[in-house]
Amino acid sequence: MTAIALETSVPSRRLPRWLPILAILIAAYGIIPAIGTSYLFEAILLPFLALSLAALGLNILTGYAGQLSLGSAAFMAVGAFAAYNFNLRIPGLPLIVSLFLAGLTAAAFGILFGLPSLRLRGFYLAVSTLAAQFFVKWALTRFGWLSNYNSSGVIDAPPLTLFGLQFQGPLGRYLFALTIVVVLTALAARLMTTRSGREFIAIRDNEIAAKVFGVSIFRTKLLAFGLSSFIIGVAGFLWAFAYLRTVEPDGFNLDRSFSILFIIIIGGLASIRGAFFGAALIVVFPLLLSRLGALIFGGVFDSGVLDMSQRIVIGALIILFLIAEPSGLVALWDRLTRKFLVRR
Amino acid sequence: MSDFDYSFLLEVLIGGLLSGVMYSLVAIGFVLIYKTSGVLNFAQGAMVLFAALTFVGILEHGVPFFVSLLLTLLIMAVLGVAVEQSVLRPLVNRPPITLFMATLGLAYILEGAAQLIWGAQVHGLNLGFDDKPIALGEVLVSSFDLFAAAVAATMVALLSAFFRFTRTGLAFRAVADDQFAALAVGLRLPVIWAIVWTAAGFVALVAGLLWGARLGVQFSLSLIVLKALPVLVLGGFDSILGAIVGGLLVGASEKLAEVYIGPLFGGGIEIWFAYVAALALLLIRPSGLFGVKLVERV
Amino acid sequence: MGTASLAVSAAHLEAVSWSVTGASITGATRDVPVASIGARVALEIQNVSLAFGGVTALSAVDLSVARGEIRAVIGPNGAGKSSLINVISGLYRPDSGRVQVGGQAFTRVPTARLSRLGVTRTFQHLALFPNLSVLDNVAVGLAGSAHATFVEQILGLGRAATEAAETRQRALETIALVELDEVKDRIVGTLPYGLQKRVDLARALVSHPKIILLDEPMAGMTATEKRRMAQFVRAARDRFGAAVVLIEHDIGVVMDLSDRIAVLDYGRKIADGTPAEVRADQAVIDAYLGVAHDDELIEDAA
Repeated sequence: MTAIALETSVPSRRLPRWLPILAILIAAYGIIPAIGTSYLFEAILLPFLALSLAALGLNILTGYAGQLSLGSAAFMAVGAFAAYNFNLRIPGLPLIVSLFLAGLTAAAFGILFGLPSLRLRGFYLAVSTLAAQFFVKWALTRFGWLSNYNSSGVIDAPPLTLFGLQFQGPLGRYLFALTIVVVLTALAARLMTTRSGREFIAIRDNEIAAKVFGVSIFRTKLLAFGLSSFIIGVAGFLWAFAYLRTVEPDGFNLDRSFSILFIIIIGGLASIRGAFFGAALIVVFPLLLSRLGALIFGGVFDSGVLDMSQRIVIGALIILFLIAEPSGLVALWDRLTRKFLVRR
Repeated sequence: MSDFDYSFLLEVLIGGLLSGVMYSLVAIGFVLIYKTSGVLNFAQGAMVLFAALTFVGILEHGVPFFVSLLLTLLIMAVLGVAVEQSVLRPLVNRPPITLFMATLGLAYILEGAAQLIWGAQVHGLNLGFDDKPIALGEVLVSSFDLFAAAVAATMVALLSAFFRFTRTGLAFRAVADDQFAALAVGLRLPVIWAIVWTAAGFVALVAGLLWGARLGVQFSLSLIVLKALPVLVLGGFDSILGAIVGGLLVGASEKLAEVYIGPLFGGGIEIWFAYVAALALLLIRPSGLFGVKLVERV
Repeated sequence: MGTASLAVSAAHLEAVSWSVTGASITGATRDVPVASIGARVALEIQNVSLAFGGVTALSAVDLSVARGEIRAVIGPNGAGKSSLINVISGLYRPDSGRVQVGGQAFTRVPTARLSRLGVTRTFQHLALFPNLSVLDNVAVGLAGSAHATFVEQILGLGRAATEAAETRQRALETIALVELDEVKDRIVGTLPYGLQKRVDLARALVSHPKIILLDEPMAGMTATEKRRMAQFVRAARDRFGAAVVLIEHDIGVVMDLSDRIAVLDYGRKIADGTPAEVRADQAVIDAYLGVAHDDELIEDAA
């Protein structure tokens, strides 16, 4: 990975750092709920939030700490199924606790499948993360107990409640997901300014040097896997409980793992914002493409054609970004805004 | 009782070995590219799919078998050159992980394009070979598997001979050994890489035909081919011999595990067994069975 | 007396053939006794040998470093100097011999505990963290003494807050010591080479180590930059009382800066003593110092 300008060291003398964030929060909590349609929440914002969170998790592991993982969807699945089971089998357990426990479960799996990172690098590590992907997928279909022996294999997600408040309907679920994403993003951003966050980057940039100066490679890597998987697990929960309203293994396949990786490549590795930029593109793009395709090609442009065209364009985008803008959309954005905001 | 067990075991073993040979073939495509350019071509699986779909697509238009074959070979050659020009060259000085991610993108493009052009349904592929079981003593072996193994073995032999006895093969080895030295003696890397990717394309085509005849030509082909990754892990990313041995190991152990251990887990463990086994091996030997141990120089 | 075949031209210095014949090379490692060395030894390498495949990197090397002394290790390329540093820092495991440091003897020094043993190092090829700022790079130098968990860090609780403040303070002090204040927030990957070398040094100094291993800290620098680096090295020794093991090619710098010098050739130690003694050592003269007067030419060619 080429040198990446970190958020913490981009001096923004034009606007105070909290201003854009405040603006976004006001828009997210105030404006959008007022004007948003059901379609906006269901088809765009909810998947966007879930995928952004998953991408955030993966970015911590792969972008910041440099540990390539191809199995992120597996941890989303663990989060979703764990939450379902905790919620189902422990009556009276508040959903937020189920959520937290689900995250911990995903973190535990993450650490387990992350152990190889202590011995493996690069490609070898990537291959071993695929083991997680395939194993988890198999386990979820094999052990019917996890799906409560549901004959169709598709489970309905229970309603979302938080501190007695019911979050129903598209708007309710959106606010629920939004809050969770905001909280976790804030914590992740905070982490990256601490010593541990620094050590993630250190082991990515030069593991031997980090070791020489006393960074515990063992603890740091496992922390990266654990935290990342926790966040990805919660994202899986959101994906199933808030967005799809079903919990099923199919949505957490290899393709999903790849999309999340693509999100952070396109959005910007080692960047908190990158997860959101990338997710926005990945969510909105297919919708735009299908509208455009229907417009130009008419009826020929069915869902099969859409899927395939999507694949082609996304693949092309990846290559394009790697060639032209390896630091992703974030870097592109920063360059453009700097031109407009910096006055000499 | 014990007699029957042994011959069944042998059957499973041989079946596994034979499918292992086919894994090896796919893995060799990876090795070709990795050895000469240091890139782990994740798109190899997609190339297999693309080659197989193209061939079948042309064939289904009534074009004779060998003409279809030649046309597909030509297309794979063009693809090889295109990849070298549009993906490899712009990314030439980047770290290997960037190139790996670029091949992920390439895989997506190829998968999408192949299915867009030829359709996403399953195509049957008849190589003119009836799958009659042959009896070797008390053991039943699929004649198709034998044929596939023979074809794969022939390809491997041809490739090895190519590397050893031809000038281009020598050039490949030179580039694989030391890119800068190769440059210094005047070998033109872009040309070499274009040839390598084309060769990998040929290998992908053969693999695609064999696997396609066995399972039907469809999207899941590229997933099955992902199994080549544990093969590479076992055999090392840069060794053809390793790819062969690794492929045999994976094929055999996978089948044996499914039959003998599978029932304990309720079956279906073939999906992940190879990966978990590779993982276990890596933990003992981080550079795989045959891989070169890297001495990190500070 | 041995005959040495040397190419006198400075440009060939690096590729010169160090063929020295005669008794001076065979096992005659003259270890100069320093007064009461036993009590003041910070680091001792005993009979260390190391080979890679067929290549001998180190051969029965003994080296002792007293507290607060600047100990240079010189010799032609391939003489084993970097290997020696890598053995001391635990990155290489010697085939035989031991390293005594921090009051303990090791066959292989545990790299992960290096900072706890009070040992730090710089790297011939930098090994910085190019995507972190100068301040962050230097702060990593204190990673070994930080214990707060990530939860404490995120919440900014007690121990985490104190550690963060102390780390920052110390990093800033060290950055001031090597005069990098102006670039402390710059991303290291964007800095010129000379400044990067200084960051490497600062990172090694920030923990106030007892032993600092400097692997060609002045490689690729101009004469002025070298003088400054030499000042920083001396300042570090004077301020922290650290022992310094210095690998360096510039003989002038070495003669000026070091208290004692060890000379390696083909992995063996062929001389050991004060600068004056080494300068006068016949074997070393024959092998190596005959071109000392070409220092100026060397610097221009470097």
